[in-house]
Amino acid sequence: MIEFKLPELGENIEQGDLVRLMVVPGATVSAGQSVMELETDKAVVEVPSSVSGTVQEIRVKEGDKIKVGQVIFTVDGAEAKSSDQSRAAAAAAPVLVRPVPVPQATPATTPTTLPAASPTPDAAVAPTSGPSEFKLPELGENISQGDLVRLMISPGTKVAEGQPVMELETDKAVVEVPSSVSGVVKEVKVKEGEKIKVGQVIFTLEGGASAPTDAQRPRTTPVEHVSGQHGARLAFQAAIRAEGKTEEQALPPDQPLLAPQVFSMPVQLGKVAGTEQRQPIPAAPSVRRLAREVGVDIYDVKGTGPGGRISEDDVKAHAKSLLQAASAAAQAPPRAGHFAQPQLPDFSKWGKIERVSMRGVRRKTAEHLAESWNTIPHVTQHDRADITELEQLRARFAPKAEEAGGKMTVTAIALKVCSAALKVFPQFNASIDVEKEEIIYKQYIHIGVAADTDRGLLVPVIRDVDKKNIVEIAVELSQLSKKAREKKLTPEEMQGGTFTITNLGGIGGVGFTPIVNFPEVAILGLSRSRMEPEWVQHKGGGKFEPRLILPLSLSYDHRLIDGADAARFLRWIAEAFEQPFLLSVQG
Amino acid sequence: MSESKNFDIAVVGAGPGGYAAAFLAADLGMSVTLIDPEINPGGVCLYRGCIPSKALLHVASLIEESEQAKNWGIEFSAPKIDLSRLRSWKENVVKKLTGGLGILSKQRKVKYVQGRAAFENSTTLRVKKFDGAEETSTFDRIVLATGSRPAIIPTLKLDTPRMMDSTGALNLEDIPSTLLVVGGGYIGLELGSVYAALGTRVTVVEMLPGLLPGADRDLVLPLHKKLEKLFDSILLNTTVTAVKDEGAGIRATLKAQDGSTQEKVFGRVLVSVGRKPNSEIPGLEKTQVKVGPKGFIQVNKQLQTDDPSISAIGDVVGEPMLAHKAMHEGRTAVEAIAGQKVAFEPNAIPAVVFTDPEVAWCGLTETQAQNENREIKVAKFPWAASGRAITFDRPEGMTKMIIDPHSERVLGLGIVGVGAGDMIAEGVVAIEMAALAKDVALSIHPHPTLSETIMNSAEVFFGTATDIYRPKRG
Repeated sequence: MIEFKLPELGENIEQGDLVRLMVVPGATVSAGQSVMELETDKAVVEVPSSVSGTVQEIRVKEGDKIKVGQVIFTVDGAEAKSSDQSRAAAAAAPVLVRPVPVPQATPATTPTTLPAASPTPDAAVAPTSGPSEFKLPELGENISQGDLVRLMISPGTKVAEGQPVMELETDKAVVEVPSSVSGVVKEVKVKEGEKIKVGQVIFTLEGGASAPTDAQRPRTTPVEHVSGQHGARLAFQAAIRAEGKTEEQALPPDQPLLAPQVFSMPVQLGKVAGTEQRQPIPAAPSVRRLAREVGVDIYDVKGTGPGGRISEDDVKAHAKSLLQAASAAAQAPPRAGHFAQPQLPDFSKWGKIERVSMRGVRRKTAEHLAESWNTIPHVTQHDRADITELEQLRARFAPKAEEAGGKMTVTAIALKVCSAALKVFPQFNASIDVEKEEIIYKQYIHIGVAADTDRGLLVPVIRDVDKKNIVEIAVELSQLSKKAREKKLTPEEMQGGTFTITNLGGIGGVGFTPIVNFPEVAILGLSRSRMEPEWVQHKGGGKFEPRLILPLSLSYDHRLIDGADAARFLRWIAEAFEQPFLLSVQG
Repeated sequence: MSESKNFDIAVVGAGPGGYAAAFLAADLGMSVTLIDPEINPGGVCLYRGCIPSKALLHVASLIEESEQAKNWGIEFSAPKIDLSRLRSWKENVVKKLTGGLGILSKQRKVKYVQGRAAFENSTTLRVKKFDGAEETSTFDRIVLATGSRPAIIPTLKLDTPRMMDSTGALNLEDIPSTLLVVGGGYIGLELGSVYAALGTRVTVVEMLPGLLPGADRDLVLPLHKKLEKLFDSILLNTTVTAVKDEGAGIRATLKAQDGSTQEKVFGRVLVSVGRKPNSEIPGLEKTQVKVGPKGFIQVNKQLQTDDPSISAIGDVVGEPMLAHKAMHEGRTAVEAIAGQKVAFEPNAIPAVVFTDPEVAWCGLTETQAQNENREIKVAKFPWAASGRAITFDRPEGMTKMIIDPHSERVLGLGIVGVGAGDMIAEGVVAIEMAALAKDVALSIHPHPTLSETIMNSAEVFFGTATDIYRPKRG
């Protein structure tokens, strides 16, 4: 028996919510095959199996919160194995799921479920990409498909590894795709003009069948009908009694020989009752027993001896480190915002209520904002920017942005303005390392933009804003917003920000106090810009003029930023909005 | 653990697994009842299996060797075989050992009940004693060690003593002029060798393309060559489709792979096509014990069945059906019952075929590695380079070590040759201790012995074996 545990999903991702399970007990999985969808941090990822075999027991259910390292299911059977290779493949990267409506799989529970019963086409048992077929490989970050422009092979063609076999047009470019396999093409499974997805089989190779992969190897299907067997036994007992026979006389005739397996040659040592299919661990029997006694999984222990041999001391050291980690966790103050709050009253006393799981984005947002709020002494500085002139410019350049596929919005302009301001005021583009008592100044300007989606608050990050012009920024912002709405954002696209902009102007309001996006130190909030009467000074007098005013709210980490600096920073931004010329002079 | 000492435990079946479990339970302070149809503990292994067959195989090898002595200038006249004395000697061996176990039971105050047990419920057994009395008792824990029996092919069932299973063959009622052995596994080859040495002309029929299916072919080859001389014929890819009792013999129809058939009359037929678990225990349906598709009782690594008060061990829980596996399981099951944190998780279970030459292996086999696509290095040391093997004129043997090429850890050992069964234990220890090939190569082995070949095979891995020139490749 082998356990499949949730692999590392990425930096700082420790857990996720199980959205969809793609396996059921009895199903056959192969390494690399997607077995579930997990909603983590701010994306839904498909998690591939690192083990092969027949699923025996599933230890999680849909809706569960699952931590990295937690056992998802166990596999059994002659083919059950967990190769290092597949483990590496699994660790490589969970695949981002496209936002198709998710059909709910109903995990079967009856022991009579046939292997290979799969709830959805995605989970269908596909042969692992052995040397017998070629699948569209990863083409690059965020490229999940492309149009097949030209096929360079046909059945019978001899291909060698590295040889280009087709041209694919992706969002970004036309690329030549080289083969990763060698052999003679047997069947081509795609046509020119088709949209091809990463992982889709392009062609199969001749003679691939001679080296079947685990998944293809025919397997016996031990289907046990418990009730049937029980019945048979009862019938047998009754027969004995009825005929007055002894047990030995009444033993039912043996089944006819079906297969050579009936030979009880002691050769299938791997199939000893009760033993798992894990590779033998390099530890002496006494050491393995010690591990059991102290409650350590010997497979988790790192051996320090020759060939990775595990000594008694290794086991003890491992147990000690587990203990220390556990006690450290126990002593640590309860994490702020981790639902550590006074007991709730019984709301249903006062009316009907509904309880909804607070998973994924909502929970993550709650935790993150509570942590920010508890860590950072917040102050919010308010200011107003006169964007009357800017608005005229914006309207004039809007078609240009549109042409490029973007939208010239106030947010896009604010991004450019802030990137310039952050260069002038580097302490706003910094983080505090409390432990080392250091300030970390970042030499790059990546600005996050809070996006309101139906899944909650997402903050995609635009990289190197200072190196892009407003049109470029507008285009990228449009793309990211679209992705955010379509749940296509990857965790990477939401990491690494140095400053955040949040614009609630589309909805309304005259000002608000945004919460700094920890570990950043400042966040700029934009509210609804409106025409206001402004006193405009003229020679020999003045008068009220209608001006378009944009309210600005800057929250900052008072540990690092003094109030005067914040006021200066926000004034600089306001002036940059008022006189875009400043950008080219100072930005 | 002190609480467990008061456990009342019953062990059903007194084969090696059963008595090992019962004795350990007694040693741990439990009150133990051991139930078996035989007069003393021992089970199939002692009464009708390993032990009597080994006694007969010893005789066979003596006959063989005395013949071979001609080559060394020593000539004996043809042996005179007194079958009844041979039989009684064999029976004395069995009696000595089983009687000894009976005494050991008494010394440990194990309550030995000769009879058959049936379940009343998960903790209650009704035992029908052989003196006719019935006794119903309740226990805290019950260990099932009911073993296995020879598998039968329905089409090869004849109601005549000429049609034998392993039990019948070991009874040695006569020395038939011809014997058909159905099944080229270890039981058929061992018993076929005995009869051949006693003068019977033996034909072995095996439906697969090789003898000892599953064992590495290079280990089987020297044995195959030897048996080709000893036996009349070895028919591979062949099945027996029909048998007919003709009074003076059994007419058997042999069907070859190409579909051609031949008929032949044999004095006796031995069917040795494997063994079946004895899981049809009366009243088992009154418990929660689950039986798997092949008739094996299902257990976890602590040998516990789905019924919390019932454990099961030995042949009845799965392959390999070997006494030493059963004994280890029996002890593990009792330790688990006693509350110790244990599991049955061997890295190597040795398998031995007691033919001449013997074939033995443990841990990973080359065949298994190929099936699993595991990267291994195989280091072979032929006994033609072993001084000891030359001294007794048996240079056909071979020792091979299966090694992990990266960690250089010993993963498996295979030996064919005289005494292979005794030597394989070193491989088991090496594998269980996670020894490296270097560890074995650097351990001084006594000279001149066959055990040196194990050290030599490790040296072959490094390309530095003293007694053979085989530089390391690559």
